[in-house]
Amino acid sequence: MTAHGDTHEHHEPGLQHQFEDMNQQEESVSIAMWAFLAQEIMFFGGLFTAYLVFRWRFPMAFAAGSNHLDPFWGGLNTLVLIVSSLTMALTVYYAQKGNRTLQVAMIVLTMLFGSVFLGVKAIEYTDKYNHGLVPVTGWNKKVKEDTSAPHVTEQDCTQVGHGDGDDHYVNPKGEFQWKDCSLVKLAQEKNYLTADEKIGYFTNGEIDADKFRDKVRLFYFIYFVMTGLHALHMIIGLGVMLWLLWKAWIGTYGPKYYAPVEISGLYWHFVDIVWIFLFPLLYLLGRHFLH
Amino acid sequence: MSDNHAEHEEHIGIPGYIVIFLILVVGTIFTYFSSFWDLDSIFPGANTLLALAIAFTKMMFVILYFMHVRWSSKTIWLAAVASFFWLLIMFAFTMQDYFTRVSGVFSA
Repeated sequence: MTAHGDTHEHHEPGLQHQFEDMNQQEESVSIAMWAFLAQEIMFFGGLFTAYLVFRWRFPMAFAAGSNHLDPFWGGLNTLVLIVSSLTMALTVYYAQKGNRTLQVAMIVLTMLFGSVFLGVKAIEYTDKYNHGLVPVTGWNKKVKEDTSAPHVTEQDCTQVGHGDGDDHYVNPKGEFQWKDCSLVKLAQEKNYLTADEKIGYFTNGEIDADKFRDKVRLFYFIYFVMTGLHALHMIIGLGVMLWLLWKAWIGTYGPKYYAPVEISGLYWHFVDIVWIFLFPLLYLLGRHFLH
Repeated sequence: MSDNHAEHEEHIGIPGYIVIFLILVVGTIFTYFSSFWDLDSIFPGANTLLALAIAFTKMMFVILYFMHVRWSSKTIWLAAVASFFWLLIMFAFTMQDYFTRVSGVFSA
């Protein structure tokens, strides 16, 4: 591909006119995608920073909130995303090979696993909603009495009255529901409490359920914003994959031109990486206190 | 040049991708079960550190192999490393503030 500068008529399909050749185009496109991913890292990084600050200040509230998340669903979703990352990598592989059939099949599989992820997420959000763990006052009005859940039964905290016994719903004001202070007790015995926690969970030396609840609510706020933003990225990713599916179906990509597949793959893997960190940081805190 | 290109894009092939995938699966399962161990006897927070170390390892495999950075140009290496360097600056500068607010007027 040396001195073809004068005979530009035989452009490769997909080569934009501002590029010398397909290599240069692919390189430029990848760098642009990485620049985009760098700002995505900063975007999520702000939330990770918020997480870092508040977990450093209130580790036990984070552990308590995390223990109510189900690591089975979180772990399953991690595996689902890893499988989708594999099928995405294979999509790029088959696009480079020019194998249209397998490329389309891999895109469909990737979209399938992405949808499974969102379905599991919906199950989890529903469970949090049913337990009154949406960190917005007024959004938890439909919480019903559930004696099987440990955090609703009376534990180590002083009970705070929510409505009266006649009410069908236990939470008519829609307040965030959290009554389990057992981890604070445990941390107090083990002398684990940080300086912030000694102020933040106690009133006059007694464990204050309301103050602790507000710190757990912080965890759930961060949980919903981070997983919600991640889920939004998944939805956008599914849209990108739908477009990719169409382009692959009409046979756009081959060994010479596959940059869109490559950068869609970069995006998909990035979203996977975010979840790789969200899973241990949100689901697996302080599990050794319970088991 | 285009021949060289085609060969260069071969990367690790399907068996290689499967191996990376299996490493990621093992890492996930290991993360899950290691969270039940009580590592506080080593030092409080050791569980989190272990979980993050596994997550970081998994991330490196995804970035290097699934995202092809291992075979990418130096410019892409630079973009990838720089983004995490900026992230580190954000964490470090934020936390050096919070770490030094243990007590006093600006404390909790």
